[in-house]
Amino acid sequence: MTYRTMLIKNAFRNRFRSILTITGIGVAILAFVFLRTVVDVWNSGLTAAAEDRLVTRHKVSITMLLPRTYYDRMGNQPNVSSIGYANWFGATYPKDEHSFFANFAVDDDNYLNVYPEIVVPPDQLAAWKADPAGAIVGQTLAAKYGWKLGDKVTLTGTIYPGDWTFNVCAFYTTTNRAIDKSSFLFHWKYLNDGPISDRMREQVGWLVIRVKDPSQGSAVAGAIDSMFESSEAQTLTESERAFNLSFISMYAAIFTAMDVVSVVILLIMTMIVGNTIAMGVRERTHEYGVLRAIGFTPRHLMVLIFGESLFITAIGGALGLLIALPIVNGFGKFIEDNLGSFFPYFAISSGTVALAAVLALVVGLASAVLPAWTAARLQVTMALRRLG
Amino acid sequence: MTLNGVSTSAAVAKQDAAAKPIVTLRGLKKSYYRGLIELPVLDGIDLDIPSGAFEALMGPSGSGKTTLLNLIAGLDRPTAGTIQVNGVNLSSMSEGALADWRARTIGFVFQSYNLIPVLTAAGNVELPLLLTKLSASNRKDRVKTALRIVGLEERMGHLPRELSGGQEQRVAIARAIVSDPTIVVADEPTGDLDRKSADEILDLLVKLNREFGKTILMVTHDPAAADRASVRRHLDKGRLLNS
Amino acid sequence: MIPIAYNVHSLAARRSTTIAAALGIALVVFVFAAVLMLANGVEQTMRATGSPLNAIILRKGSQAEMQSGIEENAVGVLRASPEAAPAGSGTMSTAEVVVIITASAAGTKGGVSNAVVRGVMPESFMLRQQLQIIEGRNFTPGSDEVIVGRGIASRLADVGVGRELALKRNRPVKIVGVFSADNSSFESEIWGDLNSIRAIFNRQGAVSSVTLRLKNASLFEDLRRRIASDPRLGLEVKREPTYYDEQSQGLSVFIKTLGLVIAIFFSVGAMIGAMITMYAQVAQRSREIGTLRALGFRRSRVLLSFLLEAILLSLIGGALGIVGALGMSFVHFSTVNFQSFSELVFRFTPSPGILIGSLLFASIMGLLGGLFPAVRASRVSPVAAMRD
Repeated sequence: MTYRTMLIKNAFRNRFRSILTITGIGVAILAFVFLRTVVDVWNSGLTAAAEDRLVTRHKVSITMLLPRTYYDRMGNQPNVSSIGYANWFGATYPKDEHSFFANFAVDDDNYLNVYPEIVVPPDQLAAWKADPAGAIVGQTLAAKYGWKLGDKVTLTGTIYPGDWTFNVCAFYTTTNRAIDKSSFLFHWKYLNDGPISDRMREQVGWLVIRVKDPSQGSAVAGAIDSMFESSEAQTLTESERAFNLSFISMYAAIFTAMDVVSVVILLIMTMIVGNTIAMGVRERTHEYGVLRAIGFTPRHLMVLIFGESLFITAIGGALGLLIALPIVNGFGKFIEDNLGSFFPYFAISSGTVALAAVLALVVGLASAVLPAWTAARLQVTMALRRLG
Repeated sequence: MTLNGVSTSAAVAKQDAAAKPIVTLRGLKKSYYRGLIELPVLDGIDLDIPSGAFEALMGPSGSGKTTLLNLIAGLDRPTAGTIQVNGVNLSSMSEGALADWRARTIGFVFQSYNLIPVLTAAGNVELPLLLTKLSASNRKDRVKTALRIVGLEERMGHLPRELSGGQEQRVAIARAIVSDPTIVVADEPTGDLDRKSADEILDLLVKLNREFGKTILMVTHDPAAADRASVRRHLDKGRLLNS
Repeated sequence: MIPIAYNVHSLAARRSTTIAAALGIALVVFVFAAVLMLANGVEQTMRATGSPLNAIILRKGSQAEMQSGIEENAVGVLRASPEAAPAGSGTMSTAEVVVIITASAAGTKGGVSNAVVRGVMPESFMLRQQLQIIEGRNFTPGSDEVIVGRGIASRLADVGVGRELALKRNRPVKIVGVFSADNSSFESEIWGDLNSIRAIFNRQGAVSSVTLRLKNASLFEDLRRRIASDPRLGLEVKREPTYYDEQSQGLSVFIKTLGLVIAIFFSVGAMIGAMITMYAQVAQRSREIGTLRALGFRRSRVLLSFLLEAILLSLIGGALGIVGALGMSFVHFSTVNFQSFSELVFRFTPSPGILIGSLLFASIMGLLGGLFPAVRASRVSPVAAMRD
């Protein structure tokens, strides 16, 4: 009889209780994995950021526009391989008013050069360039609404009011799964020449820059900002990573709340397992007394109890992960198709799995501390006297 | 009528009642089943117990005496045979009806007292009365009376763990008589007690039998306890030995 | 009936397991109540912002003031609406411009937040009675001074009386005061003179909204019909409370949905914890239960008793959870609101409905978790009383 066999037998002495405990842990791990995946994916904008991309925006407000002439003036920067620009269009699809997808007006030539992760088949790209009202649509978005090449799509503008009609010329896919596959891109010229107020013409929302050497990124950013330092509209140029981070930080409180919730999950788990182990210890007090009388030391007892606790949490954790993988990933497909703008991909990362495993271990240890300590402190004579 | 007159009438009444048995068992069998294997415990018992009797059931371990007690008290059902208590046929009653019947008819005294540890002595004694429609003040009076009879009125508010073994058993007896049951059933009532406490308990049981006319059925190992009963019956291997 | 004292004292007698199970439930109720309080806080903040007698006029189809624009020459006509209450030689009305700026968030590295800058007229203070200057003084009309709401003052870095905001090159604005506004969303805003703000942000010639104080509430329908019937205007009017209520919907629904999903997951864990505890109770008390059955208590009575005990346990946990959630009322929560795309500071706001709902939720957990153990208890045979 080894330690291992003893603690396994002990763990299943009360089979029903052990099964309940394992189920509890499994459910908790499932919840934990789901939560962390939501946070992971939401933060994935950081991983989508390329090392060699910068974003230039209006210094005072993300919502304010920059003159298009800035694009021309920035063109001669050393170390820059391409520059593109875009405007947030913010229109809604009248046939599905409450759903959201990103729509932008982008410059013809360079925007896609700055984003090599966005892949458009050459013939479709040529068709788009030839059609002033053309649109490039993300595969997921097109699939959601059943759009085919050549379809006419009308969007209702909010920032630029009115009905705007486009021709679907191209679909794009991405090489990086963290990039939104539900966007809608069209020609900036179409917007600029369209029925908008004069105040809003010849303006761009932000510029994107691809630098030749990533290590020169901050130098280039500094150079650009100083170029417009004395102009009406000052700029703020930062790495794409920093730009994405600033968006994420707007919802920082929500992430903090989710982290708090994750901790609460762990506390609940610890309580359930701790209670179960404590009950087992109490029931076996007499036996522990016998073991001590025979010659087992308090440390031996503690090993047994910790072992039992770890065993239960390990099984529960493994079970939870096993269930979580198909459920979360299956659910994820649904999310990707319908909430693709917020969650371009929804899948469990190996980091989450590792974290869950480690935390299950921690819970297993933490739950056993109190019961193991009481068992170790037990006086042999007291334990032998105790009748079930 | 004088006190004498009353006691004479009571004696006459007792004699009349003694003629009619309060418990009638015919062909009583009880077996337990382990899968398909039958383990017979009682093998055909015929028995009449007169009203007002104080009977001791004795026998070696495994003879079935506790099982017999359980059946008479309506705690369990026979495999075959009939049980009639006070004219009522127990074998045909449903679980729920048996529960109601037990509440009205039987008072229990267990070897390990079986007091509810979280209730006071008064709370424990009150339990059977909660199954009746008596008002709270009525119940309180009865509880007081019962505890007075067993001599523990001043310990009403004590928890079982604050009482000695003998005192606990006395509270149990108070509980057993508080609803004025027809039969008091006692399973090894002195089994866990020292000699002195055991004698006190037996005195109490005799008092209940002689002064209050309670029929008492007692399972016991203890020869001193058996001596106090008026009738002794022996069971062996599931059968009654003729005494 | 088995007396409730039996259940109460039984719970008290096994203190550690009772507390462990109760704490599990407390945690779940805490999350449940806190989430509802948060969503309520969003709604309350928005509701406190609108006055039932105010009507706000925006460009048709704009979901927030930020997107709306009304031409200058229409403002005079709108302000002179017959439905508006008279004031002096004109009406109780105002025109305001709303701009969103991006500023560094306090206490974070690289974190930013969007804040609303509202250009107002002196009449705005009449229509928004909630505003009180709590530090410094109000801004001088026509100057480059601003006052900040206390909510946003704590959220942005370097914002306080005497500091400056660099909104336009060579034209900084000076913060001269901090105001409170009855915990409404105005507390997350920066207020300045309408013309100064328009000049700084190049918004001359238009405003974001026109707000009227109606003579009486029933005139709203007349106003609405009149505005809607003129398609050239391209405007729509809403009651102020309605407008702000709509602003809160997205965020509040999001919080509720996420929170309730989490609470349900947790509740499974808590119920399992309660189940384990109750099963152990039944096992330990089988002699007691047998005794009760022997004495004549029916199965159904035993079942009810143990069910009640489980509910009692969960109510204890529920009460603890509610106390914890109420403690959160001192915490301020702020995030960027989805619709207005600007920072919103709000609080955990309790309500009697939330408290009752939480206790109900706790009871349901107790009921479901305690059901099977109670059934097991009712199955204990009276013969169990005889066993030693």
